[in-house]
Amino acid sequence: MKRPGLDLLLIPPRVEASLWRRFRFERETRCREQIFTRYRGLARSIAVRQLNGRPRNGIEQGDMEQFAYEGLLHAIDRFDPLKGVPFGAFARRRIIGSIADGAARMTEIDAQYGYRRRVENERARSIGIDAAAADPLRALAELATSLAIGLMLEGTNLVEPANGADHRPNAYESLAWRELQALIAREIGRLPDREAVIVRQHYENGIGFTHIAQLLGLSKGRVSQLHASALAKLRARVGNKR
Amino acid sequence: MTLCSDEEMTELLAAMQSDAPDELALAERLIDAYPEDARLHFLRGSLLAGNGRPIEAHAALSRAVALAPEFALARFQLGFFELTSGEAARALATWEPLDSLAGDHYLAHFVTGLRHLIADRFVEAIAALQAGIAVNDENPPLNRDMQLIIDECAGLTSAAPAAPADEASATSFLLEQFGKGTTH
Repeated sequence: MKRPGLDLLLIPPRVEASLWRRFRFERETRCREQIFTRYRGLARSIAVRQLNGRPRNGIEQGDMEQFAYEGLLHAIDRFDPLKGVPFGAFARRRIIGSIADGAARMTEIDAQYGYRRRVENERARSIGIDAAAADPLRALAELATSLAIGLMLEGTNLVEPANGADHRPNAYESLAWRELQALIAREIGRLPDREAVIVRQHYENGIGFTHIAQLLGLSKGRVSQLHASALAKLRARVGNKR
Repeated sequence: MTLCSDEEMTELLAAMQSDAPDELALAERLIDAYPEDARLHFLRGSLLAGNGRPIEAHAALSRAVALAPEFALARFQLGFFELTSGEAARALATWEPLDSLAGDHYLAHFVTGLRHLIADRFVEAIAALQAGIAVNDENPPLNRDMQLIIDECAGLTSAAPAAPADEASATSFLLEQFGKGTTH
């Protein structure tokens, strides 16, 4: 939300310091996620540069980004905001280190079973079908719809693509698309806080469940449950409104 | 509670005014001697804020207000620090006790103006900040800060573009297509 009056007053180093103060000294854990989001672009750009600078051995950009995010999370937990070192400089070294470690750790098989497939498996397991459901067909339909919503969330780029290009096919399709997109964006905003964070970080920012779990201080299993619950809510609400 | 003597306070203020390199060390020495003196914590907070140490600055200003809840200038500055840090809700809570100030106190005007400003009521904000400047002759540096805000605010009110809609409705989207003279 734009707040021009407040924006005019902001002093950027103070805004950043306030996040660190609240995260470190006032135990406001959601600041951790805000700091992560602030520096996610830095982690990603380092991942892209590192990928281009290495021999192609099957490691995908998605993998590199996950290593970068891991380094960023470590950096956030180890940073001492009172030392006067800018966080970006502190994090950069750790992100590069984490990418180097991760890439070295990856075996050929890991690389073949790359990030994409792992993410798809994680999602499918999260919203997995209940084998003992009273109406298996209905359960299957729900699973399919949830997967579809996941794919759509990912495809819609609820955040603007960096190049600003408009990939909409034509006026009619784009009309329906935009309406559904707006509807989903609205519904994400109405999700409980943690579920909204999970959906945004996972689908908009491409963060895996493991790192979201670290980010929010939850177990990976709990993130998976909350993800399922969020998709179930979106499915129900979007279904009702169309 | 022992408070710092007038001579020591004058020495510290003189060091601050001349930007002496040891001003912060002097403030800290005095705080060691008079840990309960809210004025010293307030001055140390201002120095830290100016030295790019915002986390400690906030702690020092908060300490000043905790020691002397009626210290209106410290309370105003703490709230203003929070506002410029993006913590609007907290700033409003910090300022709440300032409502007991007389209505024509310069800090009361400044608080009113800044409350208008964060609600995007620019005209009212400018009027209140100007009223505060007009009656404030005890703290000229604060007037300069408020004048800067007024200037930026004035820029916003004169060149404010119409707020774009967040999401286009189906109708406006279609109209947009026609408006471009497309044939499909």
